[in-house]
Amino acid sequence: MKMKQFLAVVLSAAMMLGLAACGDKTVSNSDSASVSASKTSVSASASASESTETEEKEPVTLRMAWWGSQTRHDRTVAVIELYESLNPHVTIEYEPMDFEGYFNKLATLVASNDVWDIFQLGSNFPTYQSKIYLLNDFIKDGTIDVSGTTDAFLRIAADEKGNQVGLCSGVNTYGIAYDPELFKQAGVAEPTQNWTWEDYKNACLTIHEKLGIYGSSKFDDWQAGASMGINQEGFGIGFFTKTNDGLGFTDYKMLSDYMQMRADLVDAGAYPDPGACKEISDIENDFVVSGEAAMTWVASNQFVSLCNAAGRELKLINPPRKKADGPAGVSIQSSQMLCVSQDSKHPDEAAKFIQFFQSSIDANKILLAERGIPTFTAVREALAGDLTDVEKAVYEYVDVVGSFDTGGESVNPASPACTDTIKEQYNYYLEKVIYKEMTADEAAKALYDFAASQF
Amino acid sequence: MLRSKTTGNESGRTPWNRFLYNNNTVGYTFASPFIIGFLVFTIIPMLSSLYYSCTNYNMIEKETFIGIANYVNLFKDERFINSVLVTLQYVVFSVPLKLAFALFIAFLLTRPSRLVSFYRSLYYLPSLIGGSVAVALVWKELFARKGLINTNLGKLGIHTVNWFGNMSAAKWPIILMTAWQFGSSMLIFAAGLKEIPSSYYEAAKIDGANGWQIFWRITMPCLSPVIMFNLIMQLISSFMVFTQAFVITGGGPNDATMYYALYVYKQGIQTRNMGYASAMSWVMLLIMGTITAIVFKTSKHWVFNESES
Amino acid sequence: MKAKKVFSSTIYHIFIGVLGFIMVYPVLWMISGSLKNNPEILSGSLNLIPPAWRWDNFSRGWAGFGHVTFTTFFKNSLLITVIGTLGTVLSSSCIAYALARIKFRGRKLIFTVMIGTMLLPGQVVMIPQYLIYNRIGWVGTKLPLTVPHFFGAAFFIYMMMQFMAGIPKELDEAAIIDGCSKYTVFSRVIFPLLKPALISTIIIQFYWKWDDYMGPMLYLGKPEAYTVSIAVKLFADATSTTDYGAMFAMSTLSMIPVFLIFLFFNRYLVDGISTSGLKG
Repeated sequence: MKMKQFLAVVLSAAMMLGLAACGDKTVSNSDSASVSASKTSVSASASASESTETEEKEPVTLRMAWWGSQTRHDRTVAVIELYESLNPHVTIEYEPMDFEGYFNKLATLVASNDVWDIFQLGSNFPTYQSKIYLLNDFIKDGTIDVSGTTDAFLRIAADEKGNQVGLCSGVNTYGIAYDPELFKQAGVAEPTQNWTWEDYKNACLTIHEKLGIYGSSKFDDWQAGASMGINQEGFGIGFFTKTNDGLGFTDYKMLSDYMQMRADLVDAGAYPDPGACKEISDIENDFVVSGEAAMTWVASNQFVSLCNAAGRELKLINPPRKKADGPAGVSIQSSQMLCVSQDSKHPDEAAKFIQFFQSSIDANKILLAERGIPTFTAVREALAGDLTDVEKAVYEYVDVVGSFDTGGESVNPASPACTDTIKEQYNYYLEKVIYKEMTADEAAKALYDFAASQF
Repeated sequence: MLRSKTTGNESGRTPWNRFLYNNNTVGYTFASPFIIGFLVFTIIPMLSSLYYSCTNYNMIEKETFIGIANYVNLFKDERFINSVLVTLQYVVFSVPLKLAFALFIAFLLTRPSRLVSFYRSLYYLPSLIGGSVAVALVWKELFARKGLINTNLGKLGIHTVNWFGNMSAAKWPIILMTAWQFGSSMLIFAAGLKEIPSSYYEAAKIDGANGWQIFWRITMPCLSPVIMFNLIMQLISSFMVFTQAFVITGGGPNDATMYYALYVYKQGIQTRNMGYASAMSWVMLLIMGTITAIVFKTSKHWVFNESES
Repeated sequence: MKAKKVFSSTIYHIFIGVLGFIMVYPVLWMISGSLKNNPEILSGSLNLIPPAWRWDNFSRGWAGFGHVTFTTFFKNSLLITVIGTLGTVLSSSCIAYALARIKFRGRKLIFTVMIGTMLLPGQVVMIPQYLIYNRIGWVGTKLPLTVPHFFGAAFFIYMMMQFMAGIPKELDEAAIIDGCSKYTVFSRVIFPLLKPALISTIIIQFYWKWDDYMGPMLYLGKPEAYTVSIAVKLFADATSTTDYGAMFAMSTLSMIPVFLIFLFFNRYLVDGISTSGLKG
């Protein structure tokens, strides 16, 4: 019976639609409901676009977006509300998002010249350089006060010409997390700061042989083998030039060794094959957590999650070097930064918020270094008291990496916009080496030529 | 014949009536939502992508026109050619499997039984969790090296398979997941079975036909338009397979499951070669269009159309 | 004879039941995951019984983000989904009637174009589409997610056309003799007889709309306007900790509306082989 009633309703609606000749009129009428439902957002954005750069304390609406998980969303929103209560003339509309959705939406906003006033970027910031409003002038005129941080920390959120593209939300670096107990059981010495890829390979093989587990879990191959790997060739050598306008090395063979080693370790069973790597869906079910591997690659801010998941003692050491006395290759970097967009109508207000977000002790007591280690000294000190042992280990490790000899060369934090394309190709060739469709030398040569053709 | 009836009955008095009840007027009136929607919302994006396919558009900088360079490069791109081949292979395996399974279950669930409604819910449920994180995790654990499937293979004395590491095995978890989420096809088949007039079956029974004959003489011909529909739609959606591969294998190992839509995503969104990705899409549009057209041509021989018979 | 029938019926139920259980197992695993914590979910175990029943996943998940809870997300999803589904059913049936039943000039072209619109992947039309909605000022509203559905969806148009192919043409002709016009043939004859197809459309479109993530992600601005499909993704982040328990809890709840729609409408598809069929 109910079905009949339902059909009757649908039917009469259908007749209306059909008899209204086109149907488009009906459509626009029936949708007025949803227009009024979303009226608030329309009027809000309208007022934002109408108000131009007039006097201060004029009401200002800023749009902000970031990616992350629930913890980050909640804490960031709390800081936004704190800022709004301190600056009643500012309203911040925010869009928390997941990583993939964030960059999809950013792409569409770039195309429509409508990027959020304040947005979050990682080390891929050069891709969006044309959309970033540089902070240089704000630092010069004091809108942003950088006296509380160091030049080194400012550098990691700057481009190769030294322009300040954003303010770093958290310092980060790469390292190897290892299980000292498993090393001991296999009779392998624990890694030191000067260990080499040769040591790494031998450790993997010995651990596999003695304990029947993987010596090492999945690495970030692009970082280990190419980006950082080339840095290890010598001071001043990098995958890209300092000015990001070409390749910073000339011998493609610099890429071969890592590829060859990866293939050998997979063959030996000391490193998970591509199929086993697919079983890792999250840092929390890495093979190190389950005890099926003795070490793994981590970003320093993931180390806490890894230790919590493993529930036993893990240690953090820098990645192996090419030569024991050569450069470590690894350097501190900005895990994320907040940037002001070129499309913003109130870049100064956006800049003030960013300054608050990174340097306010109150704000950071809410954020709790969830994005990485804060860069403002006072903030670091204020948070230092509450650190757990594992968190302290991360802070110490980041300090160690920061103190590594760079041969007097400054580290280039930016990579060119084509990095993603080259990285994708690198992983493609590496799998071909593992599946024996290419030799390591062929793959290295092909990658080198591909990378060079991008400029 | 039909035309004369129409004119005789309702029109012919005034020019207005003649216009109002003319086939073209009626046709365009009812089809107008599609035409308007197409002109307003669809055609511009489609033409834009065609234009982008002749540019180096990267979604950030202003594009420059580069003619057919993208198309030329496509045919030199071994990854693209590989993606077309693995996609075709996927289509050949997954479409018949999914359709046969959906039809089989839909047919089994036409029995008049109180439990049937419950069963159908059971079979439809998997189609409600899409490509979520949960599905990806379950699938990885099912097909893991020490997962449920390998454990059972081991018990049967068959040696285990490294599903995600073996280039020829990796397609199976994806194909099985496609077949597993067969709910909407099943539903459409069920609706099609429901539409067959019971008088046909009664007549056949009176003529003494057995179950098998009824299936081939009544059910299949009456269902053929719906089978045709499901076939076309499964063909198209299989050519565009994305989510399953994206959440389970990510295209690996060694590009064994790098299906065309996944490669479009990698090129277009992840590495922002949108111009190139658009060219890729248009080449595939031609391939898919040709295959679809061939199926439509053959359909005259096997699709039974009540309204045209 | 009777024994044989009971036997075959038992076999039938065992077969359907066991296969159904295998099919539904991953879903049950997700539901049980809504009562587990991260290590229990990621341990690689396919066990269905949670070691401890962690109901707090639901409260933690429902709390949402900022101050916006899942109450808001569910309301938004329902509004968009119901309007979108209604629009699809109404417009697609009209368009299908024109293409399947009316011999007008250009219908073959329209049909070909319609199939053609399905052949381009969403990623390459995403940006031009966004630019259009941005130009007409619809970005940040629900309009881009609902209005286009009133202009028909190729999948359902074609589906309804195929179902109309099963309705004898004599019925139209008889109705016209009885005084119907070609307009009222649709509303009085075709539309009522299309019931199974309409129900399938409602069930399938409701789910697709509910599950759609990319559209809401691109077009809805603030968290207050987010749908469940976006919100569920906000739990996960590859670079920090994902709360799988809360995510699974909300994924489980997110299935309920679509499942209820299915249960409600499924009743009209199951009463065996058609008993009503054609009334004419």
